[in-house]
Amino acid sequence: MTCFAIQTNRLRKVYQGELGQKDYVGLEGLDLEIPAGEVFAFLGPNGAGKTTTIKVLMRLLRPSSGSVMINGVSNTQHQSMERVGYLSEQPNIYGYLTAREFLDFIGKLFGLAPSVRRKRIDGLIGLVGLKDRDRTLIRGFSRGMTQRLGMAQALMNEPDILILDEPLSNLDPVGRKDMRDIILSLKAQKKTLFFSSHILHDAEIVADRVGILDHGRLVQTGTMQELMGSGLKTIEIIYSIPEAGESVLGLSRERIVRQGDRTLTWTENMESAQEILGKLLKNGGKVFSVTPQRQSLEDLFISRIRG
Amino acid sequence: MKWPAIASLTYKETIRNRILINILLFAVALIALSLIIGDWSLGEQAKVIKDFGLSAMSLFGLLIALFIGIRLMVQELEQRTIYLVASKPVRRWEILFGKFAGLSLTLLLNVILMLLALWAVDWIIEKRIDFELAAAVVLIYVEILLIVAFALFFSSLMSPTLAAVATLAVFIAGHLSPILRDYVQLHPGSGLKKLYLAIYYIIPNLENLNLKMAVVEHLERPPHAVGMGILYGLLYLSFVLTATCMIFEKKDLK
Ligand SMILES: Nc1ncnc2c1ncn2[C@@H]1O[C@H](COP(=O)(O)OP(=O)(O)OP(=O)(O)O)[C@@H](O)[C@H]1O
Ligand SMILES: [Mg+2]
Repeated sequence: MTCFAIQTNRLRKVYQGELGQKDYVGLEGLDLEIPAGEVFAFLGPNGAGKTTTIKVLMRLLRPSSGSVMINGVSNTQHQSMERVGYLSEQPNIYGYLTAREFLDFIGKLFGLAPSVRRKRIDGLIGLVGLKDRDRTLIRGFSRGMTQRLGMAQALMNEPDILILDEPLSNLDPVGRKDMRDIILSLKAQKKTLFFSSHILHDAEIVADRVGILDHGRLVQTGTMQELMGSGLKTIEIIYSIPEAGESVLGLSRERIVRQGDRTLTWTENMESAQEILGKLLKNGGKVFSVTPQRQSLEDLFISRIRG
Repeated sequence: MKWPAIASLTYKETIRNRILINILLFAVALIALSLIIGDWSLGEQAKVIKDFGLSAMSLFGLLIALFIGIRLMVQELEQRTIYLVASKPVRRWEILFGKFAGLSLTLLLNVILMLLALWAVDWIIEKRIDFELAAAVVLIYVEILLIVAFALFFSSLMSPTLAAVATLAVFIAGHLSPILRDYVQLHPGSGLKKLYLAIYYIIPNLENLNLKMAVVEHLERPPHAVGMGILYGLLYLSFVLTATCMIFEKKDLK
């Protein structure tokens, strides 16, 4: 039997309603199978249940039914977390500690020896770019700095599996780049990565496979190619042409968008695009851009969730 | 064993939490009182200082145990700092016990410093150190630990405010519980006898941990009062902590 890095079996989570309120089904029949070494992007709109899933994986919430296996070990056992690194959504960290003190504490929770902790802390502080703030109190950290420290603590045990809840949010452009670089280097090290996001661009760059969650149910999973391959492609052309030449192109009215002297049109395939371009040039038109539009994950996402 | 790491963190957190101010306040109050009663006879002065000192220690300890004890876990959940801890290869009970042990250490330091302050002021009056005070203080400390355990227990079941009320109720009922027992013995036909007895047996008898009067008045203590008090307190404590761990074990950390 092959053993998945992360496997869930008919996972269901019901949030018990407080006095007088109705119960809320946060997850329903979730089956996930993430092989070792895969980068899996867990996508879904706000409130889809991504954080709920991750908290169940991390033993913070108990599933109402179903089970979770991490590297073949049930996560009801605390030892299953030995090789896992976890970054929570918008992490909060004890304000009365310094970054160093916190990482040392986390190292102790993993049962690491003092010398190992010291060496790893030095490396991680550098990796996440907190070198000159490692001895100041976390109380004074910005969200982005806390996020960086959160990433450092997730790597403290040199995990094989990383479970990251919205690792790229709360960061400025530099922070996003740094974090994405870290994720890419983890991918290069063949670590299993499971990360949630509602920003699809993040997934497009790093993920091998994507799962789309909505209202607590997995509505689609597949590799990037599978999901994108089915996408309808269009080619956009932006041009300008003297008034008289317009009719020569033979474009239908609903395919013409004018903006000042520039016009946008689009077509479904390369052949007709080339034909239009030819006519344009012959009739004294100017071409500003030709852009193939593959269907983005964004579109797919919206069509899956609306549909 | 991961709980010592959590204990030392909790100690670090709580030790800077108004504890020093508390001790300062205690010392100032002691000194102020000793000045006010400065023209009383030495024996009376010593008695009043010791009585006040032990009572204040008990009260301060209770307040710290109550307020910090209830915040201890609640704060972790509210501020969501627990996520990065409970997701590590750590058993839930180790988190709870670590928290308890850390605060216990802070409170121990607190009680020791208060005892030293009391001894110092008493020395100025009596020119001798009354080691008997330590016996009463040991049991005060055990009582404080018991209150922390109840604060943790109630705060895992209800809102912080309700938990504070419930813990305070245990404290008060615990000191009244021998009265209930005596009442039942005096009025065996009382209709509420079963209820009174139930309360007597469920709520710890905190008077078992009260040697203040005996020490201050130099009364004869029941044999092994300190040893029995410690045993009674710790047994009860382990009971309450175990129950709290069982609740926490199953709790969703939302
Ligand atoms: N403690 C809770 N009690 C009751 N309902 C909850 C609780 N936590 C989450 N929910 C509900 O469960 C659903 C899923 O929430 P979850 O936080 O898992 O979503 P998410 O996909 O992570 O969203 P986001 O992108 O906003 O982070 C939401 O509708 C939310 O209201
Ligand atoms: Mg979320």
